[in-house]
Amino acid sequence: MELLNRYLHAVRFWLPKAQQEDIIAELGEDLRSQIEDREAELGRPLDEDGLAAILKQRGNPMLVAARYLPQRSLIGPALFPIYQFILKLVILWILPPIFILVVGPATVLSGRDPALALGETVWTLLMAAVFAFGVITLIFAVIERYPHESTLRWDPRRLPRVPPAKAATRPQPVPGFTAIVEMLAGIGASLVWIEVMRLRTSFNFGDVTIALAPVWRGFFWPILLVTLSGVPIGLMGWLRPWWMRARSSARLAVDAISMILTGALVNMGPWVRVVAPSQPASGVADANHWTNVGMSIGLGAAGIIFLVDAVQEARRLVRQRPDGSPAAVAVRR
Amino acid sequence: MAVLAQLRAEHYGYALRKALVDRGMDIDENTLYPLLRRLESQGLLVSQWREEEKRNKRFYRLSGDGHRILNQLLEEWQSIDASLTRIVEGAAVV
Repeated sequence: MELLNRYLHAVRFWLPKAQQEDIIAELGEDLRSQIEDREAELGRPLDEDGLAAILKQRGNPMLVAARYLPQRSLIGPALFPIYQFILKLVILWILPPIFILVVGPATVLSGRDPALALGETVWTLLMAAVFAFGVITLIFAVIERYPHESTLRWDPRRLPRVPPAKAATRPQPVPGFTAIVEMLAGIGASLVWIEVMRLRTSFNFGDVTIALAPVWRGFFWPILLVTLSGVPIGLMGWLRPWWMRARSSARLAVDAISMILTGALVNMGPWVRVVAPSQPASGVADANHWTNVGMSIGLGAAGIIFLVDAVQEARRLVRQRPDGSPAAVAVRR
Repeated sequence: MAVLAQLRAEHYGYALRKALVDRGMDIDENTLYPLLRRLESQGLLVSQWREEEKRNKRFYRLSGDGHRILNQLLEEWQSIDASLTRIVEGAAVV
C-alpha cells in the first residue's frame, strides 16, 4: 500500500488546504474499495504492478486534483474573441508599420551601422510585441476578474450602424478627383524623371556626391513612357469614368511593363555611385555598398507594389466580365 | 440527473458508481467525485461520514432541494424527449 499512500500524497499536494483531508479520505476509500474488488476477482492480494495499473487508470495526480478545483481561465470564452482581435490589431497591424516607417528609418538615419541599426530595430520590435502581449493580457485578465457593468447593461439601440453594402455587383466609376490626381502624378513623375536623367545625374551633399550609374540611361525612355502613362489613363478616367475594363486593362499592362523593367534593373546594379574625395576610401566603399543595398531593397519593394496593383486590377477585370457578371445579369433582366 | 436519481437512496461513492455502471451509465471516477462535491455545495445532496465494514465511508443522499430539482429536471427531460420523438417521427414520415 506504500504506492497508494504515495499516490494520495501526490494528489494532496495539488488540492486546496481546506479540502485536502476530506478529498483524500474519500479518494483513498474509493481506491481501497477498487483494490479489494480486484483482489476478490483474482483471489490473491494485488502485487505492485496490479496496484500501479489501478492508479495509472485513475490518472495523473495533478489532473485528478484539478478536477476538484473550480474551472479557471485567465481570459474566458466571452472575452477571448475581443482579446484575440486587440492582440492581432496591435501586434500585426500597429507595431510593425510604426517600426518599419518610423522607428526603423530613425534608427538607420541616426548614423549607426545600418546592419546594427536594422538588428536593433527588429529586436526592439520583438520586445515591444512581447510587452504589448503582456499588457493586453493583463488588462483582459483584470476585466475578466472584475467585469464592468456595461458588459451586462447593453442597449441594442446603441449598436453601431451597418456600413453600406459594398457595391460588388456594380463597378463604381472612377471618381473625378482620382482621375485628376492620376494625371497630375503622371506629369509630375515624368518631369522629375526628365530632370534627374537629362539635367542632373548627380546630387551633392557637401563634399559627398551621389551619382546615378550609367545603367539608368538605357531605361530613360521605357521609364518615361511608364510615368507618362498615368496621363492618358487619368484622362480616360476623367472623361469616360465608366470605362472600367479599359482602365483596368491599361493599368494591368503598365504594371506588367513596370515589373519587367524593375526585374531588369534589379539584375543590373550597382545603381548609384558615392563619391567623397575627402573621406577615407574604406568609408566611401561602405557608403557605396549600403546605398546600393538600399536601392536594391527599394527596387524590390517597387516590384512588390506593382505586383499587388496588377493582382488588384486583374481581380477587377474578372469581376467586371461583361457576360455573366452580376451587374450584367441584373441589367439584362 | 442520473446521479441525482440514483441518490434517492443512500450510497457511498464507490457503490454509487457501481450502481450507475450496472444500469449502463459508465461514469468516470474523476468526474463522479468532483460532481458529488459540487452537487453537495449547491445543496442538492447531503453527505455523512459513517463507518461501514470497519472503514469510514462518505454516504450521499438527495436533499429536499435535490428532490425538487430532480423532479424539475425529469419533467424537462420528458418534455424534450417527447419533442424529439415527434421531430424524429415527423422527419421519418417525410
